[in-house]
Amino acid sequence: MANLTNLYDVSKCTACRACQVACKNWNQLPAAIEPFKGNYQTHEDTNGDTYTIVRFIEHEDPVGGVTWNFLKYQCMHCSDPACMKVCPRGAYSKTEWGATIHDPDKCIGCQYCTYACPFGIPKYREREDKVAKCTLCADRVEEGMQPACAATCPTGALKFGDRYELLQYAEERVNFLRANGYPNATIYGKLELGGLNKIYILTDTPDKFGLPVDPKIPGQIPFWQDIVQPYFGWLIPLALAGSAVSFVTTRLLANKHKENKKGGHE
Amino acid sequence: MQLLTEYREDVERVERFNFVSRLTHWGHTVTFLLCLLTGLILFLDGVDWLAAIFGGYNSAGLIHRISAVFMTLFIIIFIIFDFKGIKAWIKDILSFGKNDIIFILKFPLEFLGFEVKMPPQTRFNGGEKGNSILTPTCVILLVLSGYIMWFPAAFPPGLVRVAYPVHDIAMILSTFMVCMHGYLGSFHPGSGESFWGMWKGTVRADWAKHHHPIWYEETYGEKKAE
Repeated sequence: MANLTNLYDVSKCTACRACQVACKNWNQLPAAIEPFKGNYQTHEDTNGDTYTIVRFIEHEDPVGGVTWNFLKYQCMHCSDPACMKVCPRGAYSKTEWGATIHDPDKCIGCQYCTYACPFGIPKYREREDKVAKCTLCADRVEEGMQPACAATCPTGALKFGDRYELLQYAEERVNFLRANGYPNATIYGKLELGGLNKIYILTDTPDKFGLPVDPKIPGQIPFWQDIVQPYFGWLIPLALAGSAVSFVTTRLLANKHKENKKGGHE
Repeated sequence: MQLLTEYREDVERVERFNFVSRLTHWGHTVTFLLCLLTGLILFLDGVDWLAAIFGGYNSAGLIHRISAVFMTLFIIIFIIFDFKGIKAWIKDILSFGKNDIIFILKFPLEFLGFEVKMPPQTRFNGGEKGNSILTPTCVILLVLSGYIMWFPAAFPPGLVRVAYPVHDIAMILSTFMVCMHGYLGSFHPGSGESFWGMWKGTVRADWAKHHHPIWYEETYGEKKAE
């Protein structure tokens, strides 16, 4: 099955946050009210009850004044997700059409995934002692519907469909933007981390939107998962086997020398 | 077949470990094993039967944390009530020298049951010194990295990511040492009295003279410092 993905076009986004509301509505998530921080952004970051947010990134330009870069931020549904790699309970899985989904029944709230994710997406949900994140509305998509955010977007900034077709659309769109006043316009998610199952059309370079320019899984994670976990553990059975061998040989040798020694200690 | 050396009261015995040392030692035995078994559930992946013994994944996690808190408390008790003992212990470990290296080099033969003539040892022999360095270091690393993993939000993310492999490596090294130590301190015939030294607190004087002559002379012998 072809990869189905969400495309987000920054240049069409008006930051109405209907996607945020639709997401809360469909996933039946309670409001997470945060104190006013002096800007229009509702939440500092995604959290256990907020799978997606619209970032309001302010840039001050001496000529143009203050400008906003909007960015809808949520799980990127990586093709080789770090969360899936570290999860000790195998709670993460990839659907055959590309979504990374998390099974709360298996989750034990250890939060290994939170710190492995290069985008910091899986968040701890205190009220359940579990982690939660965007599902790309796998439940809706499997019933032939669009994700709640894409279905509700009034400006067409969010589109859902075949990844290959959306990438072609994104190329055209980026070319158009580059020719019309956004020389740095670019696609994000096409090549990053081997291709994300989430495509962004950005009007500027990714760092202007707070996205990691070259996202990487933090080095400690592969060291831990690919070297320590599979190989170091063999020391323990080695110690047990050594003790077992010694248990037998010491007693065999002691029996041999029995005639010149008596008693329990040397 | 005899498993442990017989405990004999009819011969002269000398004190080897005081009450606080023994309490800390056995307290750590229980908490370490509980932490190990509950922790292995996640390390090994897919050992549902082990999780079931502890009442499922969530209660295994709870037992892991409660044991870890007690493990920390035993360290604190040891520091508060036997600081002098810790100082003497560290001093002995740091006196690691030629005799200890010879001991460790010859030890594999003794381990298998061959007769080996060992150089005179202090209170802790070369192998015990190695165990005394490695295991407590690993336990301190386990405790520190464990609290970081328990409350990740309170620490910088980079530190949390380091804590995961550190917790695993320290667990593996300390479990390796604990397996060896558990066997050598009990069923290995050559170790003889050392089990009673930790269980009852005293060892036979003749055993102490034979296995730890330097310590025996300094503590109970003629050169005893008054």
